[in-house]
Amino acid sequence: MATEQETITNVEKAGETEGPVINLKDLSKTYKVGPNTVRAVESLSLEIPRGQMVSIVGHSGSGKTTLLSLIGGLTKPSSGRVLLEGNNIWNLTDKELSRLRNERVGFAFQFASLFPTLNAIDNVRLPATFGNSGAADDGNRAMDLLGLVGLKSRAHSYPAMLSGGEQRRVALARTLMNRPRIILADEPSGDLDEDTEADILEIFKRINEEGVTIVIVTHSRAVASQAQRMLRMHRGHLFEELE
Amino acid sequence: MKRLGLLYLAAQNLKRKPFRSFVTIAIVGLAAGTLFSATLLVKSVDRSLEVGLERLGADVMVMPEGSQEPGEAALLTGSPTSFYMEESVLDQVRAVPGVSQASPQLFIETLVSSQCCTGYLQLVGYEPATDFVVEPWLRQNLNRPLEEDEVVVGSLILANKGEHVHFYGKDFSVAGVLDTTGMGADESVFLRLDDAYEMAVESAAVADDELLITPGQISSVLVKIDRDTNSDLVAQRIRTGVAGVSVITADDLSRSVTDRISGFKRGFIALDAIVWVMSLLTIAAIFSMIVNERQREIGLIRAMGGTRNFIFRLMLAEALLLTAIGGAAGVFLGGSALFIFKTVITSSLGIPYLWPPMWYFGSMIGGTLMLSVATGAIASLYPALSSSRLEPYLAIRRGE
Repeated sequence: MATEQETITNVEKAGETEGPVINLKDLSKTYKVGPNTVRAVESLSLEIPRGQMVSIVGHSGSGKTTLLSLIGGLTKPSSGRVLLEGNNIWNLTDKELSRLRNERVGFAFQFASLFPTLNAIDNVRLPATFGNSGAADDGNRAMDLLGLVGLKSRAHSYPAMLSGGEQRRVALARTLMNRPRIILADEPSGDLDEDTEADILEIFKRINEEGVTIVIVTHSRAVASQAQRMLRMHRGHLFEELE
Repeated sequence: MKRLGLLYLAAQNLKRKPFRSFVTIAIVGLAAGTLFSATLLVKSVDRSLEVGLERLGADVMVMPEGSQEPGEAALLTGSPTSFYMEESVLDQVRAVPGVSQASPQLFIETLVSSQCCTGYLQLVGYEPATDFVVEPWLRQNLNRPLEEDEVVVGSLILANKGEHVHFYGKDFSVAGVLDTTGMGADESVFLRLDDAYEMAVESAAVADDELLITPGQISSVLVKIDRDTNSDLVAQRIRTGVAGVSVITADDLSRSVTDRISGFKRGFIALDAIVWVMSLLTIAAIFSMIVNERQREIGLIRAMGGTRNFIFRLMLAEALLLTAIGGAAGVFLGGSALFIFKTVITSSLGIPYLWPPMWYFGSMIGGTLMLSVATGAIASLYPALSSSRLEPYLAIRRGE
């Protein structure tokens, strides 16, 4: 794992906004599954200040991933509001919301989410394609990030040539590509060996120290305990977990 | 480092399933190739008829009774033939009301694999005083009439100006090479009628086989009609007024060719329609499959900041790339096939052939490519639209 001392996210340069960076107000999400209505998230309110690392634990099906998707604007709430850095994201156009996701939010998924036809460095560069950054800088930035996750030497390897752990590290580098101010991680270390899990958590801690707000959904107590704030999700409701 | 553009991503995606991409390209290629080659063939036949009939300059052709079929073949494709009638027919034709000019021609088949002949081809004897087929060309290009023992050759005869050729043991000098018409004239050798008779007389002594023509015999009479009449009427008058002849008009000749290729045309139209519909359905089905298979990736792109519009354009770009490659391959293969099998097709259908001008080629290539790409756009429109409307979260979950 690389140990570069320069900042990874440059959040400081992004400018501060007043109030919580993530603000959920009376949020509900229901699905139709056949004849039944599933209440994945129910009347949920939450404020997360800038720079906080929050973990959300809970059983499978408790609504954790749905909540994360609601925060990131990947799914529309049935009711309630999602405010990111003060913007009600569902008042934005598709273009504006896409730009917000591109520039401010980084998603880390629980599965290997690399594109099989792109090599590692191109996978890392991909988010920059949807933004306005320069092509030459993209390459340098992507290479630095691969260095950060210890995979500089595999920059030109395709996903099929990488182990599961390496793929997850490349995906993490991609999450950081556009210097997000908010990271939403869904089981970022699930199925990984202890060493890789520790490496990934180390990176999360480091970027959190730089001021990035991180929300981690996890089953792992060990991972959850790394956060400054732990929440428990149960049947669509959120509870503060007191250690 | 180069930017990961839309086309690059689309091309990378297509490499993922090479066989599927190949099948799509092949189907579009088949449709494009069929359309391109069939249209080119029909256009070439039309152009050849236009140029050839203009060169022939005759409105009506009179031949001995029963010789219409080989006569048409000789005029259209240069297929060697010989049939004869008495010269008196010429005077009878000239006397028919509505006939403005009439000029005799004599068709002579040369000998196959014979030392006395340069090759197996059609000799056409013409009368310089009355001719309106070769003489105008001579006036324009040679600036003098054809002299004794001189010939002019069609563009497909392998002889250059100044070279010598021999038929039935008689030596001739090539005075010029005619422009290409795509019709029988390209494979014919034109000589003066008197030289043809003289060649026949001398053949008994110098040729491998004697040419059995009596001076005065002719094979056909080419007729130009008066401006104030029409060829069908004059043809009818000749049929009733001159015994023992078959009469065909330039329109008949044109119709005969059109009839010959009409079945071919219908077949191609039906085949092409089927293949286009097939390619439309195949592309639509393939892209619906692609959208289904790549739901997670579509969701991921959206999560990374890709807009709905980007997803729509990505899907469309993949379809357009495939169909453009298919269209280009079809144009190349269809054109090549036509080029290679042109002789087989034209001789089996008995049709003339003249490649269209370059601008037509260009517009045909452009048109076929545009149609191919339009097919891709139409067929992938719905899958592309539905992929762009997928909710990112659901797309990611469904793709798991």
